[in-house]
Amino acid sequence: MSDPGQPQGWYAVALAADLDPGTSAGTRLFGAELVVWRDAAGSAHVWEDRCPHRGMRLSFGFVRGDHIACLYHGWQYDAAGQCRYIPAHPDLAVSPMIRARTYASLERLGLVWAAWGEEPGPPPDAGADSLTPLRSLYLDRPAARVRTAFADASKGGLASGLLRTTLAEIPVLVAVQPLADDRCAAHFLIDRPSDALTRSDRARVASACMAWRRSVEARSGERAAS
Amino acid sequence: MSLTLYDYELDENGYKVRLLLGALGLPHATVAVDMIPGAEQTRAPLIDLNPLGTLPILVDGETVLREAEAILLYLAQRFDPGGPWLPREPDAFGRTMAWLVFAARDLHAATLARRTAMFDVPGDAIALERASRDAFRAMEDHMVLQAIADAGFFVGATATLADLALFPAFALSRDHGIDHEAYPALRRWARRVRALPGFRTMPGIPDYH
Ligand code: FES
Repeated sequence: MSDPGQPQGWYAVALAADLDPGTSAGTRLFGAELVVWRDAAGSAHVWEDRCPHRGMRLSFGFVRGDHIACLYHGWQYDAAGQCRYIPAHPDLAVSPMIRARTYASLERLGLVWAAWGEEPGPPPDAGADSLTPLRSLYLDRPAARVRTAFADASKGGLASGLLRTTLAEIPVLVAVQPLADDRCAAHFLIDRPSDALTRSDRARVASACMAWRRSVEARSGERAAS
Repeated sequence: MSLTLYDYELDENGYKVRLLLGALGLPHATVAVDMIPGAEQTRAPLIDLNPLGTLPILVDGETVLREAEAILLYLAQRFDPGGPWLPREPDAFGRTMAWLVFAARDLHAATLARRTAMFDVPGDAIALERASRDAFRAMEDHMVLQAIADAGFFVGATATLADLALFPAFALSRDHGIDHEAYPALRRWARRVRALPGFRTMPGIPDYH
């Protein structure tokens, strides 16, 4: 459940291209642990990273078709979060009460987004659809610090909360994911279609990203204790 | 040919060698050593094989070798000459060696962090965690650039010894509290390593793919 102090809305939680079909990954939003997974048919899902059985992390488990299975005792959940199979009781009709907590999510602009709060508002729409995903950077810095770092360069944000800037003379969009109070992720997209970019363009922007990270970490002094 | 590996099942350095033995399909004998808590490798008879008192140790006839990376190089030279595991081309050879050094030096922090977390071996857990994260971040940055160059592995489009030497510490990082959240490029690379022919797991690395 969202804390009233945290802004409701849609937050990017991964680059869509980093989530292969049939895989799962753990992440966080405002300190809440999430599992982001993609079923074999290609749909992405964002859930609370907690197995209803004994509370173990579902992101340690594995995806089988359109189910995600918990690593610990193999309980399997369907795409709606309903438990469908309990290996220790294979013939049991599983109670509809056994459900994983799910978040509304969607894939847009090359990112997987999750809705935070009861009234997240309209889903992200930058009006741009020819973006090229670049990479996600994870920083031991608060999200606000990272947003400020873009303040000088930013030429106006977009409705979806994407920041706009330029790296290596190429326009980029950045979605900031507040992981916890002192950590965030910055998801970088190049604001050009991939066929308009050479490999060396992409490598240059990727290197500029790392330089940008160095400057953010240097500017805010000692790295926060891990 | 008769290969004998002196090994401790939970040791990621031994696991590096097991990965290559599996990839090359080499029959071998394993002698299980009680490294933790027994420290058997520091006493006779093993101390006579390796005066440094470390594991793993490989014995191949008259040849007795220590250090996982050296054993990987030896096995590749002996059983896969001209093959993919140790590239001959100077540039790729140099880069493979650079990552083997990284695995033994920079990534050693993750080995120590894991021993501290799992086996109560004394160590500065905070400093080790920071050094481990720095090493994983350097690997992540590299694999982001490799993906742009359409190269799925550390040195190129196919796996080399570098991937086998780097995989264990990353795959086992959750044992000492470092999740894979911040390393999307390494997650995708780890899946490719898991899909290599002859791949095997070890305790702590689930066998589900
Ligand atoms: S905790 Fe998930 S199946 Fe038991």
